Amino acid sequence: MIRLHHVAKVYSVGAVRVPALSDVSFSVAKGEFVVLRGASGAGKTTLLRLLYGDEPPSEGEIEVAGLDVTALKRRQIPELRRSLGIVFQDAKLLGARTVYENVAFVLRVLGTNPGDVTPRAFAALRAVGLSSRAQAYPAQLSQGEAQRVSLARALVKEPPLLLADEPTGNLDEDMADEILALLKEAWTRGTTVVLATHQAGLAERLKRRTLVLRQGRLVKDES
Amino acid sequence: MLGFLVGEALRDVRRAGRVGVSAILLITLSLAALGAFWLLSLNLGLAVAQWRERLRVVAYLKQEPADVRALVAKVTAMEGVDRVRYVSKSEAMATLKRALGEKAAVIDDLPRNPLPASLEIAPDAGAATPEGTRALSARLSALPEVEEVQGGAEWVESLAQWRRLFQSVGLGVGAVLALAAILTVTTATTLVLHVRRDEMEIMRLVGATALAVRTPVLLQGLIQGLAGALLALAGLEVTYAVLAPRLEPLLAVTLGLARAVFLSPPEILALLAAGAVLGGLGGLLAKPGV
Repeated sequence: MIRLHHVAKVYSVGAVRVPALSDVSFSVAKGEFVVLRGASGAGKTTLLRLLYGDEPPSEGEIEVAGLDVTALKRRQIPELRRSLGIVFQDAKLLGARTVYENVAFVLRVLGTNPGDVTPRAFAALRAVGLSSRAQAYPAQLSQGEAQRVSLARALVKEPPLLLADEPTGNLDEDMADEILALLKEAWTRGTTVVLATHQAGLAERLKRRTLVLRQGRLVKDES
Repeated sequence: MLGFLVGEALRDVRRAGRVGVSAILLITLSLAALGAFWLLSLNLGLAVAQWRERLRVVAYLKQEPADVRALVAKVTAMEGVDRVRYVSKSEAMATLKRALGEKAAVIDDLPRNPLPASLEIAPDAGAATPEGTRALSARLSALPEVEEVQGGAEWVESLAQWRRLFQSVGLGVGAVLALAAILTVTTATTLVLHVRRDEMEIMRLVGATALAVRTPVLLQGLIQGLAGALLALAGLEVTYAVLAPRLEPLLAVTLGLARAVFLSPPEILALLAAGAVLGGLGGLLAKPGV
């Protein structure tokens, strides 16, 4: 599902070159649940951004869902992203739209048959236990609920790969466990999951393959 | 998909609020100005065409010709001549009497008919210009049967010049207002882009194509442009309906126009298209993050 081969990412700030990732290589098989752990600034978010084509690597090769991301042209990026679900630390919900509209928005953007939009959006909301909050606005939700809506939005298009960037970073332990349970549920239904987190305890509780990043380098790959 | 994109564009039009309303009003103003000058130019054009059709050069003859048909045929064959009508001395006198009405008795005392016979010559389309009529007059003066030539296209040409002036002023004013309208639509759309940057980010992240992300913005401009054009047309139609009946007597006396005309359906469509293009350009030029 994912293959990185000697990937490096360097940012240039004026004349200064700041390496964000150095010589990172690993693979994730289809149906795996992988935790990407590292302290803030270790390169987790940069790595995820390379995976969803938000920016190109400085060196190396990246393959995601059968696509050579390094060779993709700008106009081909949407094709890559349609096979991904992405969840962020801040839920990135649209404040002027209801919970239902936030989830349905994705299906409409992708040109889903209008007759299928409502059933699929409600199915996704039911899966995260929020169908009763469909008409609420993001401002009326708790952080945990907002993150669950964000998860429903990522999963509603049934992507083969889910990238979650610190989805529990703003949540207390109980709420974090709820999100983890939902991620596991998606995984048991066949979705490949990559969860980036700085929380060592969370990675230990999950008992899944863990890739540890430190200062942009992959220092551990433990199952 | 198109329904969704149009829905998003309508949502953006509402979001644009007062700036959006300003954009629509500026498009209305620019197209109303353009339309008003267009209407003036259209009606002046009709008057010019009508007067060109009525334009006559009169060649007064030294004496009534022995062979009228031969003279008419000779003049008809000349360059720049469309039609020729012979007016005899007696016909000229009858016309004068009709014109004098009750005072016609004063000419009954004349010992003889002093009016000359003449040829009324309608120039063809190519010769219905000041230069054309001058050249025709010169050719007619050279005929041995002709005593004097009168008539020309100078004043018709000055009417045509007024028409061209109206066209130029209309285009100039319209262009300045159109530029202002484009800038306002651009500002309105940029504001909306700023408001909806989160949505655009989500659209990009879930795999929407660049076209799908950009289309609502373009549609927003198009909708604003069309709304402005419709308002301008409605304003022109109402103004025409109110003013035309009042101005027609004056137009009949000054320009010889029986009635003022309004824009034809293709011209109305062109004005609507201009609105859509103005709005669309504004949408196209808008950049997010400003």
